[in-house]
Amino acid sequence: MGNYLKIGLTLMAFSIVVALLLASVYTITADPIAMAELNVKLESIKTVLTDPVSGTLLIEESDIPQSQEELNEKIWKEGDSDNLYESSRYNGYCSSPAYKFSLKDSRDAYIFNGASVGYGGYVSIMCSFVEDEGSFELLKLEVLDYSQETPGLGAKIAEKAVKERFFNIPQSGLTAGVIVDKDSGKSPAKTYEEEKTNKKEGIISVSDLMTGATITPRGVANAINTMVEYLEQTIGGDE
Amino acid sequence: MAKEQSQLTNGMFTNNPIFVQALGMCPTLATTTSATNGLGMGMATLSVLIMSNIVISLIRKLVPDKIRIPVYIIIIAGFVTMIDLLMHGFLYDLWKTLGLFIPLIVVNCVILGRAEAYASHNGVFKSILDALGMGLGFAGALLLLGSVREILGAGSWFGIPLWGDAFNVFIMILPPGAFITLGLLAATFNWMGISREERKKKKEQAAKKAGETA
Repeated sequence: MGNYLKIGLTLMAFSIVVALLLASVYTITADPIAMAELNVKLESIKTVLTDPVSGTLLIEESDIPQSQEELNEKIWKEGDSDNLYESSRYNGYCSSPAYKFSLKDSRDAYIFNGASVGYGGYVSIMCSFVEDEGSFELLKLEVLDYSQETPGLGAKIAEKAVKERFFNIPQSGLTAGVIVDKDSGKSPAKTYEEEKTNKKEGIISVSDLMTGATITPRGVANAINTMVEYLEQTIGGDE
Repeated sequence: MAKEQSQLTNGMFTNNPIFVQALGMCPTLATTTSATNGLGMGMATLSVLIMSNIVISLIRKLVPDKIRIPVYIIIIAGFVTMIDLLMHGFLYDLWKTLGLFIPLIVVNCVILGRAEAYASHNGVFKSILDALGMGLGFAGALLLLGSVREILGAGSWFGIPLWGDAFNVFIMILPPGAFITLGLLAATFNWMGISREERKKKKEQAAKKAGETA
């Protein structure tokens, strides 16, 4: 009996010591972790608010949030749960909150975080939509999480050249629904002009860059469609 | 000094945890898609191994035999969680890429294996040497695997492009590439071990013969 008690107490003592150590490490790292997470988010927001062609920042430098409080001021819509909106049609979701920024040229930009299913799981992206007199344009996109995608194939989605193909999708393309060129039945775009014309119909040329990995960009396209669906419902309903 | 040196090289080469003992295969195959990932995983494992070996060697006389495995697991899990938290805060990008495989260091058999087989029977200094040898052997093997796979599969090394995309063999980055590379490297290591052994034997035989004729 005494022996069992001794064993139990020893085990308890070790657990307590380790738990105390862990608690102190947690306390030390809590702030850096929150900072690291926030920095990634702020960095992405800054990226999607930079003009893809000229490379200039579209909002005032002083308007870029530096802390969680400043970021909270930019919240446009908040959901009740983690997700702001879920789309069964596109198998995607927009996470809460969505942000709204006023650009230098007094247009409004809406920033969404969202995801849809890629090859190995959810591919999550951040998008900026610019409103210009009632019409929307997808300005820029950042791929945030693609950890379930195959390295060398689907994971190429985060490469600059691939992301650029999704930039500047005009309203006509967004309402038509964004699809990748392989699903459109069209032959791949051969020139830059052709790629741009296709974009007006919502067709994104990626098959030349992402050979053998159509499912990942399809996931990104569906995530965009989910955001557009939400935008149409929310802003379209107001008018 | 020679003894300490042999203790180090034991883990690094003669009894390399990956190529010779074939331990810790799960993180080895899964995280070595690039040299950076391989090195990061290797370093995380190395630090956990050193710390757990030190602590387990220090408490080896306090722990009743019956509960030694639960105690070792508590200690190892504690250190792994600390590493996980520290990497999350200070090495965010690497933490993100390695993902689930950092918490899985807890069940890496190299670490529990060294705790049970070595640190629980030996002093602190010897245990540190053992952890260094085994850990560096593990990290080195992961770096080697990651480098081979990244160079052949993505045409770059530590993210630095080496040649055009046309030369890339995609399969090297995919799971089959991990098995192929691991198999070939393990074969090379074993071949080096065997041929060294044979040379030694021949030398001994020659010495014997020389002794007999004399």
